[in-house]
Amino acid sequence: MTEYDGYSLRLYVAGQTPKSIAAVANLKKICEQHLPGRYEIEIVDLMKDPALAVRHQIVAIPTLIRQLPEPLKRIIGDLSNTERVLVGLDIRPN
Amino acid sequence: MPEPPKLPLFADADETVQAIHQGDVDAVVVMRALEGPQVILLHGAEEPYRVLVERMSDGALTAGPDGVILYVNDRLCELTGYPSGRLVGRDLVSLFDGEPPKLVPEVTVEASLRRNGDDAMPVAVWSRPISIADTTATLVRLTDLSIHRRAEQIAAAERFARSVLEQATEAVVVLSPDGHITHASWRAEQLAEQPPVGRMFSEAFPLLAQSSEDVGMLARFSAESLDAMLATKPFHGVEVRLRGERNGKSAFLLSAGPLFDDNRINVGSIVTLTDMSERKRAEEQQTMMVAELNHRVKNILAIVQSVAAQTVRSSGSLENFAYAFSGRLKALAIAHDILTQTRWIGIGLSELLAAVLAPYRSADKTRVAISGPAILLPARVVVPLSMVLHELATNAAKYGSLSGRRGNVDITWQLADGADQAIELTWQERSGPKVRRTASAGFGTRLIERVVSHDLDGRTAIDFDPDGVRCTLSFAVRGQAGPSVTTLGSAVE
Repeated sequence: MTEYDGYSLRLYVAGQTPKSIAAVANLKKICEQHLPGRYEIEIVDLMKDPALAVRHQIVAIPTLIRQLPEPLKRIIGDLSNTERVLVGLDIRPN
Repeated sequence: MPEPPKLPLFADADETVQAIHQGDVDAVVVMRALEGPQVILLHGAEEPYRVLVERMSDGALTAGPDGVILYVNDRLCELTGYPSGRLVGRDLVSLFDGEPPKLVPEVTVEASLRRNGDDAMPVAVWSRPISIADTTATLVRLTDLSIHRRAEQIAAAERFARSVLEQATEAVVVLSPDGHITHASWRAEQLAEQPPVGRMFSEAFPLLAQSSEDVGMLARFSAESLDAMLATKPFHGVEVRLRGERNGKSAFLLSAGPLFDDNRINVGSIVTLTDMSERKRAEEQQTMMVAELNHRVKNILAIVQSVAAQTVRSSGSLENFAYAFSGRLKALAIAHDILTQTRWIGIGLSELLAAVLAPYRSADKTRVAISGPAILLPARVVVPLSMVLHELATNAAKYGSLSGRRGNVDITWQLADGADQAIELTWQERSGPKVRRTASAGFGTRLIERVVSHDLDGRTAIDFDPDGVRCTLSFAVRGQAGPSVTTLGSAVE
């Protein structure tokens, strides 16, 4: 397992629902601003493969999972509240 | 065996319920006993929208107010050649080559879509604002224009090619770069003994080189290399013949011109086989005609020369000479006129007699009676015969039955017994003044005898019977040149 010292984030969405779309946009914005060059985002569309929800016990969509750094962190919603996201992911504001 | 789904931790469950309650989520995952996990959307209104976008055969994306791509559908991934991960998060304008499209709601504009490892694709871009949560995003739809365009171009080119071929009166075929016939004009289909489309050119039209230079040129190529050459290189005007029973006698001119597309790549060629036969026949006929004309002109000059010489000898004075000579020349001219009018093919004997003797028949046709079977005279006898008739008539007008107010001439003829290519013609003068063979009965008779024997290859006998001059001519009408005698029925004039 390679050492990655950035943020590895996984965002679970449901196709094109408004909140899914908004979550994607917001996440990218936040990362660009507060984690420039120190993040990787993976978008998982549960509409395409619902079984992927099992891994992280996803029930509500959208849900953001911080895989790295550990421990696992979870934020539910469209991430429009930047403050809440930074706190939830434990990111020091830039 | 996959792990059975764990129940979420208490804290998480609480958070989830709260989130749903607050309206932070718009979809949930539900675990069904048999079907497994399923995504349920919480807002029914989104469903048609989702279906619309997902099921579109067009590429679609959603862009945020700042122009960042938020979502792309599968079709757009196909169109661009990038997976969604490489597209989401990019600037919308970065998708396009050159000028990015100016998005005006509900208006379609054209743009050039960049593709992964491929040429840019022409696309139609349509957009509409949509609201997501509290922001206004833009739905953008991209339609592949290239397929339509290409298909249209191909269809148009096909139609054009077909109409050109349909109009072609020549044998024209279109070859693919590998030498197969893809299109053929009607005439080409006729020439080929089997349907040509689909075959190699050398197979559909087996060739023989026509002229000796061409034999060398074509012989250098095997059927395969000939096909390859015709499909790709220009090739002008080689005379060939087609093998095969049907076309054995026809000569053709083979020409080929390769076709290139915008990228200078050979896309085939157009090969034509121009029927030379007509042209050749016309050429040959013209050559023949020129030679014939030459021959005739020489003849005429010789005749004129001889007539002049003879007339000089028999004319006492220059005045007599002038008179006699001009008369004879006029007869010659009339004969040639006749020939020209009938295009040197010939003339019927009755017509010729009528024409030459017209001056003596103007008042009364019965004065010179003409009767006999209709016979087409070949051109070469027209002049000599005219001259003979002219002499006979002149003599009759000077001394014989055409000299006074009474007297007439009966001209009759028949085909000689047993030889249907020879004519026996009789000139019988009656009821005129008694005639005596004079000392110089002179040039007239001598000319007649000479012309008949020399130019008509026949025999003549002139009898100065007191009742009236009688002249019999017999001569062949079949010769090396000219058509044979044709009897058309009997004619009485």
